[in-house]
Amino acid sequence: MAELLILLTIGLPWLGALFCWAAGDRHPRLQHGLAVAFSLAAGIAALLLIPFGKDQVLITLSVGGAFGNFTFSPDGLGVFLAAVATVIGSLAVIFSVDYMRSEDQLGRYYAFVLFFIGAMVGLVLTTNLLLMFAFWEITALTSYALISFHNDDLKAVAGGIKALIITQFGGLGLLIGALVLFANTGSYDILTIIANPGILPAGALAWMAFGCLAAGAAKSAQFPFQTWLPDAMEAPTPVSALIHAATMVNAGVYLLARFFPAFEGVPGWREAVMAVGMLSALLAAVMAIFATDLKRVLAYSTVSQLGYMVYAVGAGGIFAAQFHLLSHSVFKALLFLGAGAVIHSVGTRDMRQMGGLGKNMPFVRLVFVIGALALAGLPVLNGFWSKELILEAGLAHGNPLWMLFVMLVVSGLTAFYSFRMVWLVFYGQPRAELHAHDAGPAMKVALAPLAIGTLTTWLLAGSFSRLLSESLPAHQIAAHSTGEILLEVLTAPITLIALLVIALGLVCWWQRDRLAGVKRALTGLQITATNSFGFEAVNRAVVLGAQNSAEKLRSTQTGVLGWNVAYLVIALIGVLAILLLGVGLP
Amino acid sequence: MTISIPTAVLIIVLGLVGIGIYALLTTRHLIKVIVALQLLVKGAMLALVLAGHLTGQDDLGQSLAITVIIADTIVAVIGMALAVQVRRVVGTLDLRSLTSLRR
Amino acid sequence: MVHGLIAAVTLVCAIQAVRATRLLVSALWLAGASALVALEMYLLGAPEIAVIELSVGAGLVTVLFVFAINLTGEENLDARRMIPRPLAWTMLFIAGALLLIFILPGINQPATGQVYGAFREIFWEDRQLDTLLQIIMILAGVLGVLGLLSDQKTGQIAPYEEHGA
Repeated sequence: MAELLILLTIGLPWLGALFCWAAGDRHPRLQHGLAVAFSLAAGIAALLLIPFGKDQVLITLSVGGAFGNFTFSPDGLGVFLAAVATVIGSLAVIFSVDYMRSEDQLGRYYAFVLFFIGAMVGLVLTTNLLLMFAFWEITALTSYALISFHNDDLKAVAGGIKALIITQFGGLGLLIGALVLFANTGSYDILTIIANPGILPAGALAWMAFGCLAAGAAKSAQFPFQTWLPDAMEAPTPVSALIHAATMVNAGVYLLARFFPAFEGVPGWREAVMAVGMLSALLAAVMAIFATDLKRVLAYSTVSQLGYMVYAVGAGGIFAAQFHLLSHSVFKALLFLGAGAVIHSVGTRDMRQMGGLGKNMPFVRLVFVIGALALAGLPVLNGFWSKELILEAGLAHGNPLWMLFVMLVVSGLTAFYSFRMVWLVFYGQPRAELHAHDAGPAMKVALAPLAIGTLTTWLLAGSFSRLLSESLPAHQIAAHSTGEILLEVLTAPITLIALLVIALGLVCWWQRDRLAGVKRALTGLQITATNSFGFEAVNRAVVLGAQNSAEKLRSTQTGVLGWNVAYLVIALIGVLAILLLGVGLP
Repeated sequence: MTISIPTAVLIIVLGLVGIGIYALLTTRHLIKVIVALQLLVKGAMLALVLAGHLTGQDDLGQSLAITVIIADTIVAVIGMALAVQVRRVVGTLDLRSLTSLRR
Repeated sequence: MVHGLIAAVTLVCAIQAVRATRLLVSALWLAGASALVALEMYLLGAPEIAVIELSVGAGLVTVLFVFAINLTGEENLDARRMIPRPLAWTMLFIAGALLLIFILPGINQPATGQVYGAFREIFWEDRQLDTLLQIIMILAGVLGVLGLLSDQKTGQIAPYEEHGA
């Protein structure tokens, strides 16, 4: 049964991708319908899979000897992310019915979205590191293809190429990790190394650990790879919500959390992970304060919140990291889709031109405010509980206190920019002649469940912790009931401090006119932040370098078949000669 | 002079592969390329059967040969479909005019 | 003796297939070479593969060739080669010589090695991924046939233009 469900969750979106593409762009209604049907079916299959998470079943697809069998294990981490990917995926697809109504080439759009959903599910469910690498790269490919969906727009194409090249460095890290594992143990099995990291020599384990850290940082847009995510905002907004907020960028956090028991003993690894998370959270939050593009603010806040999760993994709070991942997926998808409704309605992403839109779009304002309050970490919303859990994890295990202090400051900054964003878009006086109308019916259908989720997913804390603790024995997560977790959060002193900092952030926005002097003093910071603290230049140099060297290599591609075959023959001669010289005659 | 069975088969294998590669190196006609690929792959297929025969694993070699036959047939089919479309769009089957990706 | 004869005739067929200037003639020589390879396989003790090769390699592919040549028409290209002939010969000679150094010592040795099991078992159980990929390839082949048979829709595709013209 579990086997069938796993195959369905991966296979249904892929099948849907094929159908949407085959339906042809002359039948847009059929394409919308097919995409919604297949993504919903996959979502249901993934939800049905959750109960199997406790059984620790292992599904093996025998593929013959060479690369080990393809194994899938629906454990707690896997099923939960598979459910997030498919459920939010189907909501994004439903949202697209309105958002992409007047677009051409829907076949390409839906085929890549569904292809992505299937690959994401495969990525989190497989326990074969080579297969995981394959899925990892499929998600990178679809992300690139969807960022550049408007391929007549130069900025979209450049953003896609940038994302592709930068995330390739991460893919390289994962490949190194996989090869190191295979070279030392003769298999790609993840479960063995997690249960018993001692089977690898310490040096090899360190290579693997830092390779996976690079992979996770690049995928999750963490320091120093963070600048591809803001440029990825050229994608259609449902894609930003699905791939660049709720699912793919979580793959990095997932990878680090999955391998935590194996790598935690590697000297310096945990500190490196915490530092990466802290720097990303801080830098991105400062950039979000000064950004004026609505989607870029959301992108920076995604980087910042992912920084919280990475920090939590490094601090040993696997449950806190995953719980925040769940909260963040829901409220950030809500914010992105809400922003999509705004952008679709007014036709610009520049917040300086918006203002006072709330009157014309009350529904979008309502759900967007719910999402923003969760992002700021205000009580009762899901973001509050999970963020407090992360801060508590930072306090435990003897982690450095100054890092915790930075994270506290970041939560104040988060509250500040969340409030600024909501105010600039929905309140105040209209600053430009914009014609706004409320969201369409399909958009509302997608937004409402996310808003309800933002208000309620924290109630799942207990069952979520039980699921993780039962299915991941190596991670040593303690199971608590919802009540215990909530009580723990409410009585911890750090919660009070965090709430004070958040309130301080809100007050700063409230009294922004009186703080004009401070703002002037920070002009220098503003300029550096708008330039991404110089990392934009570094990343751009890397991308340009890759493109230039590719352009130079192009001259070797003569396009003449004869020479291609000639090089093959020369390579054959080379290999045989090396064999002859190195091995000698048989 | 008598030659042993494996030697004779080896001659066929090397001959077919050599002729195939030679034709790939020199021909300019798209359909001739497919002919050359067919010859080359037939050599490879026979080599698999021969290798299975020589090592006493006849069945393994034959099961691989089946895969090669399928792959090779499909390569031929798609190659010819490509040739028909190229002829329609470009107007010639000369490989030298199919270098539009080049700068 | 029979094997030597088959070898000689096969190679003659192959050379003629490459040398023939008319494509139809070339396709017929190819079919001859394919049939002889099938015969050789039969003699080597692989009758199933021989039958498949005969029907698919010599039969189906030849029919498709004739069909495709009918659609594209004969086209005489001038004799300029892609690669100079002497270079091609040199490369092939070196590669062949190196290969022979490796192969020859083992060619007349008696069979050794562990037997992996019956054909059916190997094909359907040990190589599942290959079987799966073959099914996908066959689907791709069906798409290819559709491309072969599709109507003349030249109007939809922009005609090829030389860049920089």
